[in-house]
Amino acid sequence: MEFTVSRSDLVRELSLSQGVVEKKTTIPILSNVLLEASGDHVALTATDLELGISCTCPARVRKEGAGTLPARKLLDYVRLLPEGDVQMKFLDNHWASITCGRSRTRIAGMSRESFPELPQMPEPIATLPMRLLASMISRTSFAISMEESRFTLNGALLVMRPDALTMVATDGHRLAYVQAGGPAAPPSGGPVAVPAGAVEIGEISQAFRALIPKKAMLEIVKLAESAESDTRGHFAGDDNHLFFQVGPRLLITRKLTGNFPDYERVLPKDHIHIAKLQKDEIKSAIERVSQFADERSRAIRVQFSNGEVKVFSSSVESGDSEESVTSEYQGPDLEIGFNAQYLLDFLRAIPQDRVAFELKDQKSAGEMRPFGESIPDQYRYVVMPMRI
Amino acid sequence: MHTYFHVDMDAFFVSVEELYDPSLRGKPVVVGGRPNERGVVAAASYAARRFGVHSAMPLRTAYKLCPQATFVDGHPQRYREYSGRVHEVLQAFSPLVEMASIDEAYLDLSGTERLYGPPLRAAHILHQRMKAATGLNCSIGIASSRLVAKISSDQAKPNGVLWVVPGREAAFLAPLDVRKVPGVGKVTEKNLHALGIRKVGDLARLDDAFLEERFGKWGLALAGKSRGEDAGGWFDTEIGAGEGPKSISHEHTFMEDTSDVAQLEATLSKLSEMVGRRLREQHLEARTLQLKLRYTDFSTITRAHSLGRGTQLDTEIFEEIRALFRRNWRPGAAVRLLGVHASGWAEGEEQMDLLGEERHERWKQALAAADRLRDRYGDSAVSLAASLRGGFRERTHENPAGLPGKKPAREPENT
Repeated sequence: MEFTVSRSDLVRELSLSQGVVEKKTTIPILSNVLLEASGDHVALTATDLELGISCTCPARVRKEGAGTLPARKLLDYVRLLPEGDVQMKFLDNHWASITCGRSRTRIAGMSRESFPELPQMPEPIATLPMRLLASMISRTSFAISMEESRFTLNGALLVMRPDALTMVATDGHRLAYVQAGGPAAPPSGGPVAVPAGAVEIGEISQAFRALIPKKAMLEIVKLAESAESDTRGHFAGDDNHLFFQVGPRLLITRKLTGNFPDYERVLPKDHIHIAKLQKDEIKSAIERVSQFADERSRAIRVQFSNGEVKVFSSSVESGDSEESVTSEYQGPDLEIGFNAQYLLDFLRAIPQDRVAFELKDQKSAGEMRPFGESIPDQYRYVVMPMRI
Repeated sequence: MHTYFHVDMDAFFVSVEELYDPSLRGKPVVVGGRPNERGVVAAASYAARRFGVHSAMPLRTAYKLCPQATFVDGHPQRYREYSGRVHEVLQAFSPLVEMASIDEAYLDLSGTERLYGPPLRAAHILHQRMKAATGLNCSIGIASSRLVAKISSDQAKPNGVLWVVPGREAAFLAPLDVRKVPGVGKVTEKNLHALGIRKVGDLARLDDAFLEERFGKWGLALAGKSRGEDAGGWFDTEIGAGEGPKSISHEHTFMEDTSDVAQLEATLSKLSEMVGRRLREQHLEARTLQLKLRYTDFSTITRAHSLGRGTQLDTEIFEEIRALFRRNWRPGAAVRLLGVHASGWAEGEEQMDLLGEERHERWKQALAAADRLRDRYGDSAVSLAASLRGGFRERTHENPAGLPGKKPAREPENT
């Protein structure tokens, strides 16, 4: 195999494979990227068996063929090359020689025979705006469980219906839910109704439901970021895999198996009390006060009273702190414990200026959502209190 | 200057059995199981001890040494009940009481002279009260440190009192075997013997620096102990500081090693229930659960998992323990012993669960009801269905691991 590519094309496409190649080198071939030259391009493929990505670079192919090279080493080296053409030639012993300007390198590779075969993408069932998908991911992925043993919670649930796209993630303590499209159905007392069709959700030809692993979600965001802002991706699924085709790039992930919790039961049907807050005020207050929360539990107390919300913390080791912000709140006095990190995760994820914090009592889940005019989709964040 | 009592019940399990069956009195009695059973002696009467039988010895060995002994099953519930009565007597005697195990306690009697008179008189009163309230004999060691009090109660046995007058601690300890020092077990004893150190007096003559170099921190503690000081961790907190247990665990050794998954998991379920019940009794919630697994060849693994929140529910404990078991058991390998260990008490703020909270609450109520049934009708009155195949007799040991042991000569096996 022998071909010439532009250094910048190669760096850009190789960068996309870095999140996918196996970090632990238990199976050495998985640290490698597969290069296949044919026609007018070279295809780059990486996989860790859970997740796979393939991209292409335009290339002048002198001799077709395939080989694998260590992904990390290749990128680190190519990145340091000057802008211009990079010539690659694979030798008989699976090594490759790389020539660029006056720089010559031979890099040790491995036979392509042992590189795993990626599944074929079936007929797409949906075409989705990548920017919407990325925004849904960035508003849910932080709520995914870090605990590896709770494997059905190690990803987010994606639910597609012809009229709506929904993503849900939870770690058992809080739950983030985004729905674009669909009927406007906020619970009674909700601050604002989302008009149906306020956001363009693409075309979905059939109902579909799957669990996407967290690692794949982060790669989807990368794909969206490296594409034009109005790019649409094609989506498909088979029994075990999900496929996201964005232009010439294809991301393949294994589905998570197992039953995602019944999230609809968790979404509160009614809230009795609502506190409306300026996001930046409450966010800064929590950020400051939580410096003095217990480091393990991150517990703060949030006190709701007429026209005011007060947050406070105290820890035996570091001290105590309190701060109040004004709020439209007319309910009874309530004091509820929360994990400060959970509240901040939400407050940092939304672009809107105002939030509504809806409550029932000390032992029931609270719900936060952006609040105001022209909110394009339904974003609900349900968080369980701490026992204080 | 403190005045400490170490109160140690004489042949506790055997004495409790004698209260239920007076015909056992004075005879060689071995508590722990049948002579042909697996497992170890939980306690032996003084008559049996004359034949060389001692606790922690395999039952079969005990039978060889003393075939005429009466072998009786242990009754953990009885011992706990009597231990509770002993505790009440001690609590009424001094507010500063620390139960060191099921049958021994430290008391701080400093400043009670006006109430009870000098130490020997106080000990006499306590002896009488104990006998009257429980029908049991105890031995009392009195000293200015808990360490010396403990060693002297051992010397006072049975049914005696020994007061080591302040200033005479080193002289009292010097002629004793090093093995008598709490914390010195088989291994340390061997190491000390190798250095020519046999008596506590030999130890006291050595330089602290030498012992520290030889045995590290532990060597320094040893040096302190040889002078009769409360050194080396066990006695860090004052009596009455309200420590409570650091961990709660139950173990079971199978009559015959088994690789039957159903039986193994049923046993884990049963052990989880036992641990859960004791957690609820103590009003504790554990954040760390540990599985102990011993194979036929005695190779032993322990695997722990920390939870996001504390629990005291049998079902939640069992779920975690079973997951640990399934991940770590070599399928098909025969198992000799299983254990469930809970520690890391949850305190302060606890994150509530979004998904499991209702289920958690319902189980909490169900198990509270189950506990009331067990209080009235005994521990086997109600159990999880998963435990049904795991029924076994609970065995107890007079000397739980992790506490200053009853027999200074014995090291807890799993610490």
